[in-house]
Amino acid sequence: MQAPAPSSSTSGVNVAAIFAMNEAALIAVLQDAAAPLYAKAKACQRLALVGGRDAVPALAKLLADPKLNTYARYGLEPIRDEAVDVALRNALAALSGNPRQGVMNSIGRRRDAKAVKAVAKLLGDRDVETARTAAATLAKIGNPEAAKELEKAFPRATGPLHDTVAQSGIICIENLKAAGHAREAAALAAALRKGPLPKPVQIALG
Amino acid sequence: MSTLTRRGLLRSAAAGPLILPSWAVPPSDRIALGGVGLGPRGANVLKSFFAQPEVRFLAIADLRNERRELIKSMADKHHDTHDTKMYRDMFDLLARDDIDAVLIATGDRWHTTASILAAQAGKDIYCEKPCSMTIAESRALAQGVARYKRVYQAGTQRRNVTNFQLAVGLVHSGKLGKVQTLHANTLNPKTSHEWLPEEPEPNPEVCDWNRWLGPCPWRPYNSKYVAGRWRGHFDFHGGGILEWGSHTVDVCQWANQSDATTPVEFEPQGNHVHARWANGVKLVMRDTGWLGMGTCSVRFEGDNGWVETGDTGKISLSDNLQSEYREIKEAGTDPTKHVRDFLDCVKSRKQPKSNALAAAQGHIACHAAYISWQLGRKLAFDPARDLFINDDEANRMRSRAIREPWRV
Repeated sequence: MQAPAPSSSTSGVNVAAIFAMNEAALIAVLQDAAAPLYAKAKACQRLALVGGRDAVPALAKLLADPKLNTYARYGLEPIRDEAVDVALRNALAALSGNPRQGVMNSIGRRRDAKAVKAVAKLLGDRDVETARTAAATLAKIGNPEAAKELEKAFPRATGPLHDTVAQSGIICIENLKAAGHAREAAALAAALRKGPLPKPVQIALG
Repeated sequence: MSTLTRRGLLRSAAAGPLILPSWAVPPSDRIALGGVGLGPRGANVLKSFFAQPEVRFLAIADLRNERRELIKSMADKHHDTHDTKMYRDMFDLLARDDIDAVLIATGDRWHTTASILAAQAGKDIYCEKPCSMTIAESRALAQGVARYKRVYQAGTQRRNVTNFQLAVGLVHSGKLGKVQTLHANTLNPKTSHEWLPEEPEPNPEVCDWNRWLGPCPWRPYNSKYVAGRWRGHFDFHGGGILEWGSHTVDVCQWANQSDATTPVEFEPQGNHVHARWANGVKLVMRDTGWLGMGTCSVRFEGDNGWVETGDTGKISLSDNLQSEYREIKEAGTDPTKHVRDFLDCVKSRKQPKSNALAAAQGHIACHAAYISWQLGRKLAFDPARDLFINDDEANRMRSRAIREPWRV
């Protein structure tokens, strides 16, 4: 990778040096309590390219950090190892608020089918933004089990959550069709048609 | 004024171009517009919207109070009213049923998310470029706009500027012969990972830093970002290939009739990237060696001649094609005809020239080129799957984690 410009130095941290580190050295930065926040942020971003299974625990520890959690997910999302999915599912149970929404973003990105049940529970969360993120995450996972959860949630959902479940239903239908689940897609579409639906969703549903 | 009837105006219009005053447009033909994040470029594009008689600008959403006030004062003056509404939160604007379309001109980091939110809210969208930060965002944008059947115009206005149209026409008509190489003017690709020194965060009513960051990872506040120095910072900016390539690679994609695909191969050569489409035509993204036709130049070469043009409107042609020369004094930066194309499509429900799919593919080509440049190696790309072939590291760079609570 092209080294960042030599002038790229923040808080005395040489980012070019961080970008030249191997996985073990980057993990050490994350585990160093004295390392500046900036160094940890850049180490996470570098691990997005060179990180593997060994980096998962150190990255997952940062999922609760309000300033570093996006960087941690930045590092975790592209790692093709099931250890990431396990770590995200564990974080889902341990976290709340914004960091938990972020974790759901990553679960959705990775389309982790094993997370459907845990995410679906959050459709009933008292925090409406958490519930909306859960609906969007199920849509991205987009398998028949996720579709069932959206189908169940739709008639019960009210207010902004209702609209998000409807929008998520449309995305889930697209994902079901793309995976060859035409029957499940038709069932979800039929459930949505019972409405009421926001006008843009009516248009999308056709 | 009393002798100027709408019917009379329409009769006159049949004889030649005419701009109708806004009072002459019946309410059913009016297009209610809202603005999201309009800085200097957004304000310039807004003036082109103001030049169209059917446009009524109703509201501005901006996380900076000074910009809200500025756009409101522009709109109030234009419409001779005090009614333009101001919102800090774009959701309040998008929730309005009386707004048909939005002009989005935030920083690049917000473009995809805001466009998808607008499409979900049933709005048609004119969005400044670059329209996405990653390959994954580009695809999400195209899918989101198609899902809700919205009209979308990327602010890549050169598709509606005469000299660029003339150059592309020479390719499409076969006058250049068999096309060999298309050249796109790009900038130095590099970005910085530096954080500027921390400053105290302003009152969110003055500038909402959390909202300014939006989908990007957290970093400490510095007023220079907000003042425009976010460009060049990796977390906020897709680099110099995308900065101009969103215009010039886009024109080359159009010239090669590749609006539904991208090149299949990218190879860095210094600060340039050489690419190749599946039909064998080469695409050269470069920041040097131009003839001086202005910013955002393109050059098309075939076995029967060449043409080069840029933002000045000037055109340079090979000797054998001099009969094609036309004197054009049109700035490549002027969005007026592009805005007109968008508004016509809002009415007809056709897709404009810089529609979401075309924009997504052009942007994906730029992102792929930048990834190739960052890795310093040749990459093979599968446009049907948005996937680099046998290169895990490159594939890891196709997306970036999005900061909660935002999602696309």
